Amino acid sequence: MPLVDARDVSRVFPMPAGPVVALRNVSLAVDAGEYVAITGPSGCGKSTLLHLVGCVDTPSSGSLLFDRRDIARLSEAERGRLRLTRIGFVFQRFFLLPMLSAAENVELPQAEAGASAGERRARTLELLEYVGLADRADHLPSQLSGGEMQRVAVARALANRPALLVADEPTGELDDETGEQVAALFDRVNASGTAVLVVTHNPALAARASRRLAMKSGRLVE
Amino acid sequence: MTSFALAWRTARRYRARTLLAITGVAVIGALLFDMLLLSRGLLLSFADLLHSSGFDIRVVSTEGLAARLPISGSVRLAEDIRQLPDVEHVLMIRIEPATVRAAGQSPRGISLIGSSDAEQSWRIVQGSALGSPAAVAEACPVLVTRPLAAAFSLRPGSALSINVRPPGVASALPAVDCRVVGVAEFAFAQIDELTAVTTLEAFQRAMGGGAADADLVLVTSKPGAPPGRAIAAIARLRPDLRVYSNEDVVAQFNRNGFAYFRQISLVLSSLTMVFAFLLVATLLTVSINQRLGEIAALRALGIGRPRIAAMLLWESVLLVGAGGLLALPIGEALALVLDRILRQMPGIPERMHFFVFEPRALAIHLTLLAVTAATAAAYPVWLTARLPIAETLRREVLG
Repeated sequence: MPLVDARDVSRVFPMPAGPVVALRNVSLAVDAGEYVAITGPSGCGKSTLLHLVGCVDTPSSGSLLFDRRDIARLSEAERGRLRLTRIGFVFQRFFLLPMLSAAENVELPQAEAGASAGERRARTLELLEYVGLADRADHLPSQLSGGEMQRVAVARALANRPALLVADEPTGELDDETGEQVAALFDRVNASGTAVLVVTHNPALAARASRRLAMKSGRLVE
Repeated sequence: MTSFALAWRTARRYRARTLLAITGVAVIGALLFDMLLLSRGLLLSFADLLHSSGFDIRVVSTEGLAARLPISGSVRLAEDIRQLPDVEHVLMIRIEPATVRAAGQSPRGISLIGSSDAEQSWRIVQGSALGSPAAVAEACPVLVTRPLAAAFSLRPGSALSINVRPPGVASALPAVDCRVVGVAEFAFAQIDELTAVTTLEAFQRAMGGGAADADLVLVTSKPGAPPGRAIAAIARLRPDLRVYSNEDVVAQFNRNGFAYFRQISLVLSSLTMVFAFLLVATLLTVSINQRLGEIAALRALGIGRPRIAAMLLWESVLLVGAGGLLALPIGEALALVLDRILRQMPGIPERMHFFVFEPRALAIHLTLLAVTAATAAAYPVWLTARLPIAETLRREVLG
């Protein structure tokens, strides 16, 4: 049974000028430990699919199972708990809390999950070492470069040992060199057994995935 | 990382916004605090003044204490009251307008008080009391207020002539020669009031030598005896008279002379509450709108609504709490200035104050600010609770 099992999933956004169909009958399965990249032009529905797989949204039709659980049947609180414990998010704009240090940003999801202070400290140190930023633990996001911020964001996403890491244009705000560092980090994450689903315009990043999919006009075309 | 710690860090991170909010709440809170002090200040001050006079019962012939008529048979009444088991002390007072003349000075209108007790509670600031040996030797010894002393350059030993002029009576009472034995402060005297007090005997002579009934009888209950018993006994002695406890007098004052201040302070307190609410709610809402991406990301990471709501509530509490505490010394300083200005109003006794601190005002101030903090946070909390995560993240990236 795949970790993510989406069947005939559609997502329609009601708009004043009429409904907009962002996804049309998309079926996608992501196995545990798999690395999937989705590419396609802007507005083709990549991020919408990622948000559905990441359980921050629910499909308008079709079925989406995560860990065999039907996302549409879960309450908002249950989906929140699922995201907290089973899914890690990496965003294009990092979205680190600017008033917290790198370490505190990584600790926050662990605190929400109920980890003890000792567990949090140990896991945070381990993760910052993993992303190569142990020496920047006490730095605020404003004191970090874009690449460093994204690496902290990856550490934060991994904080609760998720089964799936979803990343929306993770190199979109980075130059080639730092983008390459983040891409290499994703390889390591996947190699340690975490499934990765990445949406990107970056061909170099997509090329690292074990499976590459393309989208066009709300449909998976490959 | 607790919600409070997140709120604290946010407040420190956005310092300009935090300072703006705290300053705004401090100023508004100071006004609120002053309105609360004003809402009961005059009443408390008046009650304090009544209690400090040492009398707890007042007997008059008319409804209320403002306009008084002489009490017929007041001397006999005073004697009867003195015999009551719960009564310790009785004082008769008569007040009439009079004209004062002194050598080389133009005549001036004053209030002349006749008192049956020479040792009563005027505070002597110069010279001696009416019961002193020097005063007893005088046919018409008088104590004068400082404004009267200043107006006629009077000091102990000065001579003056007093001519009583009862209102509404066409009289040609002879002037009485008196001598100043002391300068005193009168509890109920207005700041610029020209008042003189003399013995009831001298007052009667000034009234033409006939019996001058008192228009106010003041009674002190025995320690431990509830004034209600003495009041009931006096009412039985003279059912035609009105007998008031201090609490009755304060209640009358509250009903008649004080409603104006209470209403003003209620309206202004409500307005300041609304301003504080609008200020904090607006700042928090603007702040939330600037952080929608952050908040949507936190929600995407699985940070629950309760933690985010608690963080916003704590932010509001920090802003309103800090501003509210700062409001107390500002409000106190402002109250001193406003009190000084308001006490210049005509007809206000010198020892009355408009702004009087009481713990109740502090408790209400803190409660109202707590309510303001909670309600100001309500809208931003509601905004974040119903924030569509996916749509917000998409908008943030497109933006």
